[in-house]
Formats: sequence, structure tokens, C-alpha cells
Amino acid sequence: MEFQPTIISFLCNWCSYTGADLAGTSRMKYAPNVRVIRVMCSGRVDPTFVLSAFQEGADGVLICGCHPGDCHYHEGNYKCLRRYHLLQKYLQQMGVHKDRLRLAWISASEGKQFADLADEMTATVTALGPCKIKEVMETLA
Amino acid sequence: MEAKDKNAKPKIKMAVYWGSACGGCCVSVLDVHEALFDVIAAADLVFWPIALDIKYKDVEAMADQEIDLCLYNGAVRNSENEHIAHLLRKKTKILVAYGSCAHMGGIPGLGNFSNREGIFERIYQTTESTVNPDKIRPQTITKVKEGELTLPEFYNDVRTLDQTVDVDYYMPGCPPQTERLLEVFTAIVTGAELPPKGSVIGAYEKTQCDECKRKKTENKTVKEFKRPIDIVDDGETCFLEQGVICLGPATRGGCGVRCIEGNAPCRGCYGPPADSPDPGAKMMSAIGTMIDSDDEEEIQKIVEQIDDPAGTFYRFSLPGSIIRRKLL
Amino acid sequence: MEEKRIGVYVCWCGTNISKMVDVVGVAEEVGKLPNVVVSKNYKYMCSDPGQDLIIKDIKEHKLNRVVVSACSPRIHELTFRKALTNAGLNPYMFEMANIREQVSWVHTDREEATKKAKSLVLGAVARVAYHEALDKRTVEINPASLVIGGGISGLSAALEIADSDKKVYLLEKEAQLGGHTANIDLCFPHMIPARQILGPKIKRVENHPNIEVFKDAAIEEVFGYIGNFNADIMANGKSRNIEFGNIIVATGLKPFDPSSVDLHGYGKLPNVVTSVEFERMLQSGKIETKDGREPKNIAIIHCVGSRNNDYHEYCSRTCCMLGLKYANQLRTALPDSNIYEIYADMRSFGKGCEEMYAETARRKIMFLNFDQREGIPQITKAHPEDCCEMLIEMKERLSNTNIEVPADMVVLLVGMEAREDARDVAHQVGVSKCGNDFFIERHPKLDPVATTTDGVYIVGSCQGPKDITDSIAQARAAAARVLATITQGTVEVEVTTAVVNEDICCGCQTCVNVCPYTAISYDEEKSVSVVNEILCKGCGTCVSACPTGAIRARHFTDQQILSQIKGLMTTEMTEV
Repeated sequence: MEFQPTIISFLCNWCSYTGADLAGTSRMKYAPNVRVIRVMCSGRVDPTFVLSAFQEGADGVLICGCHPGDCHYHEGNYKCLRRYHLLQKYLQQMGVHKDRLRLAWISASEGKQFADLADEMTATVTALGPCKIKEVMETLA
Repeated sequence: MEAKDKNAKPKIKMAVYWGSACGGCCVSVLDVHEALFDVIAAADLVFWPIALDIKYKDVEAMADQEIDLCLYNGAVRNSENEHIAHLLRKKTKILVAYGSCAHMGGIPGLGNFSNREGIFERIYQTTESTVNPDKIRPQTITKVKEGELTLPEFYNDVRTLDQTVDVDYYMPGCPPQTERLLEVFTAIVTGAELPPKGSVIGAYEKTQCDECKRKKTENKTVKEFKRPIDIVDDGETCFLEQGVICLGPATRGGCGVRCIEGNAPCRGCYGPPADSPDPGAKMMSAIGTMIDSDDEEEIQKIVEQIDDPAGTFYRFSLPGSIIRRKLL
Repeated sequence: MEEKRIGVYVCWCGTNISKMVDVVGVAEEVGKLPNVVVSKNYKYMCSDPGQDLIIKDIKEHKLNRVVVSACSPRIHELTFRKALTNAGLNPYMFEMANIREQVSWVHTDREEATKKAKSLVLGAVARVAYHEALDKRTVEINPASLVIGGGISGLSAALEIADSDKKVYLLEKEAQLGGHTANIDLCFPHMIPARQILGPKIKRVENHPNIEVFKDAAIEEVFGYIGNFNADIMANGKSRNIEFGNIIVATGLKPFDPSSVDLHGYGKLPNVVTSVEFERMLQSGKIETKDGREPKNIAIIHCVGSRNNDYHEYCSRTCCMLGLKYANQLRTALPDSNIYEIYADMRSFGKGCEEMYAETARRKIMFLNFDQREGIPQITKAHPEDCCEMLIEMKERLSNTNIEVPADMVVLLVGMEAREDARDVAHQVGVSKCGNDFFIERHPKLDPVATTTDGVYIVGSCQGPKDITDSIAQARAAAARVLATITQGTVEVEVTTAVVNEDICCGCQTCVNVCPYTAISYDEEKSVSVVNEILCKGCGTCVSACPTGAIRARHFTDQQILSQIKGLMTTEMTEV
């Protein structure tokens, strides 16, 4: 069977989660690989969550927040953006492919963009193959 | 010296061992100075390779749990470290992962950026001072005419002590501060109530900043990350506020803020506070938050100034972190 | 620690979920988890019997945590929290798994959808296991209200509230009250003069003892939360701070600027005018071309900037009726003129509107239809021998012929856009915008004037293009909502704020400036950071910025989220 990746996604309540809901109410179809965790703001996403998702076996992690300038809490998404780049650099140093972690902006009206993003990320991560973090760390134990 | 006083407590049996370590932890035990007399008054040192000529077979001959307290320092890098870790676990009641290496992997843990082959190639072939045209590498078994010579097997990965055997307590530090050791030792020999198994002992609940005497303000934004040599340190301003990455806020106190007192930023040897699933992620998050820009390109440029995030945030804790080694 | 007794309820939502997800199978599987005491499936969990099922089980099985796997928590989380409260359980001991909007409606493979649904439920179960009881905080409602915008919507809302003897602050950006309605001559479909509607309202507002009007006014910043807002405002060059309990946003619209529609020649051809300009002409009683002549041929072009992907995809809802109104007014004013109604679709919905369309059609108006997809009418200057000033080239859809329409005056029915300052307003009061920058209501059907920020309501065209009738209806609806909270006197607010553990906080102060609401301060005496829970809005950014892990986000703790991650990734049913 073709490899089916699992992607953990953190969506901010106000924009991205609502955008994902809109994809649903608009009956758009997208890949079933994304598993959503709702947070109030992308600024709540702690690098620990991302690392933990990989540790538990996620093949990719997707963080979505409001577009720059549109954060419900003014600037939480910028904090997320800053952390994201540092985390990316760290992950790449650890041999994790950059495409396994993605940060994207999805507004409450961008159901289509969310659906497309889910498909796109699923395709990218499928092409990368399974993430080895869980397996490698378990064999070390 | 025999105890004459019948009311005197029986001496505890204590062992100190080094695995993959620099030896500093063993020296930190010696650093108790004159208090060593109190230690020996209360404890028999039954095994301590750096100081006493007691062989592995002597330990093997001991009954299970005969040793009351063992301070195991050093990471687990090879088969010898692992073997002795298992042996001491069996013979010991309270096994303490002593020092950063046993606790989180420590400096030897940075070997997890590479693997056995990578390390061997560098050491035995490509270092500038090495001439090894026959590409000779250490072997676990070498046959010579007198018989077989053996070496421990060098593992692909560095592990913490608790990734190898069950550990009762962790005492962080590179090395642990001697005062903390005496406090812990005294607590154990006086039979004080010990914290729950798995606790970090000999360190504070609060992190470095609580003790740090430098002036701290809310002005924690960074446009440019700097190395300590890049700043003219006034000795008074919080390192973070000078753009220097200091792991103090995310590192337990207990060391006496030694590095900071010496005008060097904290590098994290005392490990994270309680309930941290990962030793570096929180600090990475905090440092990321401090980046003073909302412009993606500029953010990336500022991040670029942190040459080695993994080595910076996980200097003492790579094997003890979530992503314990580089994926090769 | 108390034993965790979790009840799981998987909703069919009729066939909405059950068609794509094996709800029975999911409930069965999840029922195998050690802490799950009951696991059921039911047709409509949100229905009264569905809620009763939960309430009964909580009592019978001594459940202390509940997971409902159904639609989006944005729709029914509050419903189920209320059910928990009714059963005597703390409402925060609840978690929802969204298997409708984010599973059954978006996936096509039943097996994959079921697998995902199961995973989401496992995540919810793992999360709810770490939920903690939180007490709601009751706050008093300041009975004063702020209405932003002095157009027809804002005026209507202000009067409704003020007439109930409650104080209203009404803020208007311009020097005059009235907004866009003040620029309208007659209102469709009954042809009542707009000033008859607006004039008395403005007069009443300006003289109302309970209304304080600020003109030339702007908001600098809004602080607080439902019941206890305050704002720094600038009015007539003077700054002031006002306190109020609720906010009604009635900031209105901006007419579409047709300069960018090259084919219409607006700005280049002097007698191509917008509907806004034409209203002014009607108000002045003089319908004439730039050089003072009476136009012989008048064309009214519909859907300018609307229903066109190059400009705005949406329909502006008022232009068709406006076009018919103009045709009628023109026929009366210029009985011998040729009037062309160039439309894409005639949308004469609304009470009395279709009747007006039929009536207009009998008044010698030429209706010409064009297809937006095949291009919009092109207006060019006519040749001197053409005996008209302009020619409109278009493909007439019904006759399927390319025609030229003579015109001495063209009225462009420009659509409505969100105002340029919509983003600033959205930030100030904490509402979200849709892709077209109109403000988003809490629920399009169930809660159309409220927003996701408690105590903030949106009315009129800032929410979407609207006519006067609908604007007033919304304004009075919002006023009713505001009055209801004022009457109650108190309101329960979320307590999902951040809180500092003083035993861990090292006083590094990293968090202080992270907070956009200045809710965090540093206590010099204790050497720790302190969160002002009144100001905290619970975004959790400080929680992730804290290097020591000393700040907790209530209801979004590290432990809860990490546990949810574990649950989502669980493959063995014994693990969670």
C-alpha cells in the first residue's frame, strides 16, 4: 500500500481553524492526512509541541495562523514566525527535511487555500517518505 | 577507623563511577576538601576508580543492593560504560545520575551529531595530525601472539544513564556544585525524607535568573545576536539584553551562577526546570520570541546569526532531548 | 488523583457524518480505552434527547469528563458545555472532536475518514483526561454602550438603546451624522425620500439626553472586555477616555471606485457618473450633462465592481433595485428620454421589489442583458455624426447580437466595498474579517450580529453589502442583544487566561513585552511576573515565550496539548 503520512496541524482558533471549517461547510475535498489541534493563537505553538509531534510519529507538522497584520491578538503570529525560523534551522541541523515543518497563513475565509494546503503538504510529505524520528529514537532506547 | 560509639549510625556504602566523562565529576567529589573527613566518617567508599584501587570483579562479588549510594557520572558511550551501569544498578540501592553527562548526555553527547563511522574517520584518519595510511582502526578483539586483546565496543550513539538503566535521582551540573553534593549526601546519610524517585536533586526549582545579580528588565528584544567576545560587557546588564544568548532563564539554579559570575553566559549544564519534555525547546522558543522583527526576511537574517542552534540550546543535553541524535 | 471516568459520544448528524464515517465503529473502538466508561453513538447529539443522554450518563455512570465527537466546536461547544453544567459537572471537563467540518464533509474515502475520525476522538479523549475544572468569572456590565459609526445603522442602534434609558456614546468619523444614507434621494421600493427617514433620526440622536455624540472622532485604542470596555478616543482634536460595556460596530461601507474599470471610461468620459454622483444629481433636481444639456439617452450599467472576479466576486445586493429606481425617476423627470437598463442578472429580491421590477418594465425602459463572463460593456466617445455623445458596445445576451447603445449619460451602479480602515477597526475591537474585509459574524444563521468577541456586535454594511431595511433590522437586533446583557447586569466571562506559577518564575521578564495587552507586569518585591487576568485575552503567546515553563495557559496547558498529540498518534487502543 502506498505510504500514507500523518501530519499534525496546529490551527489558530480565529483564522485558520475557521478557514478549515469553511472548507468543510463548502464541501471542498482534500487529503485525510492532516490531524488538527486547535490553539487560540499560532503564538501558543511551542517548539516543544512540534518536536513532540515528530517524537510520536508524525511525518509532518503544519502550523497555520492569521495572515500577518490580521492576528486576532495583534501579533501572536509574528512570534510564531520568529520561532518557526529558529526551529527550522535547528531541525535541519538535526537532519530533518525542511518540508516536514511548514508555517502558513490561512484566514477565516480561505477554506480553499486550507484544502489546497492540506493536499500540497500531504503530497510533499508522501514524497519525502516516513519521518524516521520516532523509529530512530525508539531503536536508541 | 572503627566506630566506638554504639549509637553511631552504621556507615553507608558509597560508590563513584565514571562512564564517558572528562573526570571533572570525580574531581568535584574530591572538591569537598576537608569535608571529606565527614564523608568518610559517614560512608565507606567501596568503589571509586579515580581514587581507589578496587576492581570490577570486587564489585561483581558484592551482594545485590549492597551499595547504598552510587554516583554514576558520565554518559553511556561504549559497552564498558553500559556493562558497569547495569552492574552498579544491580548492586546499588540509590543510583544517582551524577553530572550533566549521566543526566542528559553532556558534552560527550554532542557525538550524536555524528556516528561511530564519522567519529572514527575523523579521529583515525582525517585529523590534521594523523598519519594512518593503513587505515588502522581500533578493534574490539585483536589477536596477538600472547592471546586476545579486547577493547570495549564504541557505540554508534551516546545515551544518558536513564536510557540505559533505571535511575533513582538526577544531580545536574558540569560538574555538580560541591555544596549541593554535600547537601544531598547529608540528606541521605541522616536518613532525611528523600523526594520522589526520578526527581532532580541538588538543584533549585527556580532557574538561574533568580540568583543572578545582573540587572534584568523587560527589554528583551534582539536585533543582533552576539558572541560574548563581540560585546563590551559592563558586568551588570543581563546578557540577553546585550544580545548574548544566555541559557540562564531555562536552566536550574544550584551552581551558584558560576559562569555568569565569571562574566560568561550560562550554557545550560544544570538542565531544564521540572516538567520540561525537552531541555532546549523552551529556550529556543524564548529566544525566537525575542527576535526584534516582523519581517520574514529580516527574521531569517537574524536567525542566521545563531550559527549552531542545536549546539547552543542542547550543548549539554542532546541525547536527553526529544531528537536525541542527528538523523543520518 | 480522582479516577478519570470519560464518556464519549459520537454524533451521526443525521447522514452528515454517518455517511462518510463509521460512527458506530468509532464509538465501539474508543469504548475499549481504559478510562472511557461509556462510548455511544447517536443521531443528533445536539438535540435535546442527545444532550439528555449525556446528562443522564453523567449522573448514572459518575462521568467526570465528556468528549463529543460531532461538528466544529465553534458551533456546539457551548451547547455541550451547558449540558455538562446542567448535569452538575464543570463545563470545562469537556472536549469536542470535529468530525464533520474537518472529516465527513471534506473526505471521500470512508475508510480513511473513519480512521481520521477515530484518531481525532482519541486525541480528544487524551486531552480531556488532563482537563481541569475552571470557574467562570462573573463581571458586572457597564450599562453604557459605544456605537461606532453614525450612519443609518449606528443611529438606529443608538436610539434603540438610548430610548431604553441607557447611555450611548456615538462616534462618527465625519463632521456630520447620516453616513451614506444622507447621499440618497429616494429609497426603493416605496420611493420614500431618504431624508424623511434620516432627518428625524439625526435630530433625535443629537438631542437625546442619553446619547453623547462625538463627531470628527476616531478611536485610538480599545481596552477591556465585555461589560468593562474603555477606549481612548479623539474627537474634535481633543482626546478623551470613555467607559462602556458593549460595542456596536456600524462603520459602513465604501463605494467601489470604477476608475480601474478601463472599459467603462470613468474619469475620462465626462458623462460617465457613479450612482453616488447620480444620487446627488437627483437630490439637486437637475439631471443634466456636464455641459448643462438634458440627456436624451441614458444608460444604467449594473454590477460595476460586483459579481466579477476581476473586482469583487460578491453581489452588492442593492444595485439592481437602485437601477430600477433610477429608471423610474428618469422616466418621470425626462418623459421623452431613452432609458437603457444594462444588467447582468436582475436580482429584485425583497419585499415589494419584484413588483417594482414589473412596474418599471412597463414604463418604456429598454432592458439589455450582458454576460459578465463574456466581457463587460465598453463605453467610447461617439463620432460627431452619431447624434449622441457616447456609444456602449455590448453583446446582448437574449438576442445574441453585438449591439451599440447610444448614450448621453451613463450611470455606473457601483458596488459596495469594505472600508479601507476595516483592518484598524477589526484590531481595535477584536473582530475578524472575511476575504473581502467585511467583518465576520459569530454564526451566519444562528448569531448574525454578534462576533467571536463577547460584547462586540456588527451591524449594517461593515458586515456585508446591505440596504437600509436590513441595516436597520440588524441595528435593532444588536441593540436588543446589548440591552439583554445590560438587563442581566452581569455576564460570565471565559477564564482561559494565562497564570504564572510563582514557585517557578525566575523573574527574567521575557514575557512582559510579549503581551499585546500589557496584561503582564513584573512584581519587583516578589521578583516574579504577574498576569492581570482582567486584561489577559488568553492567546497563550507568553506561555510559549516563557523559558522556564512557569506560565500556564488555562485550558490550553502544555500537558493537555502534548497529551492530545499523543492521542492523535495512538495506534494501540490501550495507550491513551
